[in-house]
Amino acid sequence: MAISQSKGNKYENRIRLFFKKLFQQRALAIMSVPFLIWLIIFKYLPLWGWTIAFQDYKPAKKFMDQAWIGFEHFKFLFGDDRFLRVLRNTLAMSSINLIFGFVTAITLALLLNEIRNIAFKRVVQTVSYLPHFISWVVAASIIQTTLSPDGTINQLLVGLGFIDRGNEILFLGIPEYFWTIFGASSIWKDIGWNTIVYLAAMTTIDPTQYEAAEIDGANRFKKMIYITLPGIKSVVIILLIMNIGYLLESGFEPQYLLGNGMNVDYSENIDIFVLKYGIAQSNFSLSIAAGMFKTVVSFILLFIANNAAKRMGEARLY
Amino acid sequence: MSKINRVWLLCLTAVLSLSVITACSGNNNTKENTGSAEQSGSATTGAKQDKVTFKIFNGVAGSKDGNTNQTTIGKLLEDQTGVNFKLEFVVGDLNTKIGTMIAANDYPDVLIPDAAIEEVLNAGAFIPLDDLIEQYGPNIKRVYGKSLNQMKAKDGKIYFLPIAAQVNDFIPEPEAGAAFWVQRRVLEEAGYPKIKTLDQYVELITNYRDKHKDENLTGLVSLTHDWRFFATSNPPMHLMGYPNDGNVIVDTNTWEAKTYAGSDATKKWLKELNKLNANGLFDKASFVDNYDQYIAKLTSHKVLGFFDYRWQVDNALNVLKDAARKDPSLDGYNYFPLPITFDENTPDAYLDPPGGLVTNRGIGITVSAKDPVRIIQYFDNMLTEENQTLLSWGIKGDTYEVNEEGRYYRTQEQIDKIDETFRESFGFKYYSWNWPMYNATSTLANGNARNVASQPEVFQMTLTEKDKLILEKYGVQTYSQLYAEPISRPYFPAWGFAKEQNSPEQLWEASKDEMTKKYFPKMVMATPDKFDAVWEEYMKEFGKLDTAGYEKWTTEQVKQKVAMANQ
Repeated sequence: MAISQSKGNKYENRIRLFFKKLFQQRALAIMSVPFLIWLIIFKYLPLWGWTIAFQDYKPAKKFMDQAWIGFEHFKFLFGDDRFLRVLRNTLAMSSINLIFGFVTAITLALLLNEIRNIAFKRVVQTVSYLPHFISWVVAASIIQTTLSPDGTINQLLVGLGFIDRGNEILFLGIPEYFWTIFGASSIWKDIGWNTIVYLAAMTTIDPTQYEAAEIDGANRFKKMIYITLPGIKSVVIILLIMNIGYLLESGFEPQYLLGNGMNVDYSENIDIFVLKYGIAQSNFSLSIAAGMFKTVVSFILLFIANNAAKRMGEARLY
Repeated sequence: MSKINRVWLLCLTAVLSLSVITACSGNNNTKENTGSAEQSGSATTGAKQDKVTFKIFNGVAGSKDGNTNQTTIGKLLEDQTGVNFKLEFVVGDLNTKIGTMIAANDYPDVLIPDAAIEEVLNAGAFIPLDDLIEQYGPNIKRVYGKSLNQMKAKDGKIYFLPIAAQVNDFIPEPEAGAAFWVQRRVLEEAGYPKIKTLDQYVELITNYRDKHKDENLTGLVSLTHDWRFFATSNPPMHLMGYPNDGNVIVDTNTWEAKTYAGSDATKKWLKELNKLNANGLFDKASFVDNYDQYIAKLTSHKVLGFFDYRWQVDNALNVLKDAARKDPSLDGYNYFPLPITFDENTPDAYLDPPGGLVTNRGIGITVSAKDPVRIIQYFDNMLTEENQTLLSWGIKGDTYEVNEEGRYYRTQEQIDKIDETFRESFGFKYYSWNWPMYNATSTLANGNARNVASQPEVFQMTLTEKDKLILEKYGVQTYSQLYAEPISRPYFPAWGFAKEQNSPEQLWEASKDEMTKKYFPKMVMATPDKFDAVWEEYMKEFGKLDTAGYEKWTTEQVKQKVAMANQ
């Protein structure tokens, strides 16, 4: 009894403290009200639309007139082997993106950080993040042209004698190559852009640490491993956690633009599936059901990742 | 923080939150406004010629947005009716745009929903037109005449006017709408042979390529990009001697519709492509190229032949034609249309036959329209003979001339004058498509063609010496004379049957498209001995579809249309 009473007191104290703080910081609280309203209107109210996933939704009909069909759409999704295939593709492509994106961006950032010639550094940085600013439509055209039978890569291969003329490889026509092509193009497009945040993080590292290491006789490589990398660890982990939440978002444009009938088994992801069988067929319920599935899975993944970080005593999102 | 600062902050937050609230309720205010405007409008409609402006949303991307009365034709029509239309064209995704309209229940006065028409109908956004047509539409009745029955929705009411109707005599367009195209130099070298069958066509191309081995030529390319895949999957239908009905062929005796995606004809077509591929005559990249790359290839002078519909390759053909006009030595790279079938004795059917109406596209008046009567009167006025002449030919003495026999023609000067900018400012562009009108193969009551391009006199003027020479070699005056006379098909075209959203028919088409896009490349690229195995695999997959259901549905539609036409 005594214990629970003290516990109750503790909570009461906490609540009192909360209101005291709230009163003290009322200006801050009031300032945040408009944004809270914005958040509720644009982020939480639309969740109401999830009800569409359980209806046989017809636009322009009132909510009460919609036919409720329960889990039919989910059953269709998970019963369809096409959906399992697109799920596999989505996971594979976003994992490729996640892992290789991180590794290459961090490596490039580390290397750039070591460059002392400012002019060269600037040029490398600019060249590497320029592709980020072209849209995927243009980028996909460039990739398609490069990979076509009379494109640069095939000509190179022919010139080097790896393949004979007339036997040019149809890169985008071989399903198994798609993930590689996708991964390589994503890295090409975004590597420079992704390094920016790491380079910024590296500037926060105290230079005295490097000096100390130098006195202790560390070479450049060792400084990289023992000072720079740990220095940006918290940024890396936060970004990793946030990106894991997007694991089911493998992007839409590159797959849609580079995909074709021949590589469809490997290029079609959830978003394209939703477009084909949901939106294009005006089957909005199915689209919502797939969207819900994505959100729930993303939420779980994010939660797990954050929890793992917490257990390991690392930086975390919340 | 000082007191004054706090007061300031409070004010600021109050204003911000207020603005959020008012932003949400803004919609209601505008609604009220339009409501009152409507009242005052109808109150003053004493004089009938009061000028009004209505809004039209056009679901087909095309021209710039603007007012019809800023064009010469639009101004004349405004003088006749007092009605001006403010046109808005779709930008971005049509379904999103229409979906937003439906969700907000707020429409422009007139809507051309193009492919999203079924959604608009389901949402009840169009008002029924029957009474309006009865009261104010003598010309609408004359033009759509027999088809009025076909235009009725399930509840027996007419909700929209289809885009164009056949009026008076049928004249085929002088240039073919679809064909197996071949470079003119190939025909020239072979001595202008009569090419009737696929085998002859393939032989023609093969021979030419073999004689010019060092030129790095491509025998045949095919368009497969995205929704345009039908350019690769439709040929079996044409090779069997049927017109473009989309996914089916229709027997004119029994009115049975049959799909052909899994038929022997398709197998034969793919086998031919497979053989061409094995001989290095087919461009493998066809299956990965996008539309722009395809068009670029056609203008590269390297491609000997291809199958496609004219409207898809217009750009490429025009580029080649313009080049040849400037430099006649390039004429050999122009393409010549050939109507080809599997069998010499099968008459071809590449020309669209006179038929019914396309009933899954059209123009309708929405529930938001302020004054439906004025709108329907405008449509009716558009459909008079004089105005149909105005819309396509323009103004006599300015954009066309009439000779002693009453035939319309254009002088070279006029032809030169009417370029894209002129078409825009004169209004030909705004009024070329998607309004209620006579269709392209119609004639005016005085025997002249409704469409300028279809008038033989005008067509002859557009021909170069080389054009005339090649037509002469084949003993014809127009390209379409090479083709068989089309047979009347009152239901035509079957691809124009309105399908309900999310229906089994739609699902069948989506699944079939996906399957063909996946397996056709496989079959064409397979080594010839593996072709049959891949075909079997495809047939197994194809067998999973409810093809019988799709055929039954289409047959019903065909029969219904035919019965209505015969009423």
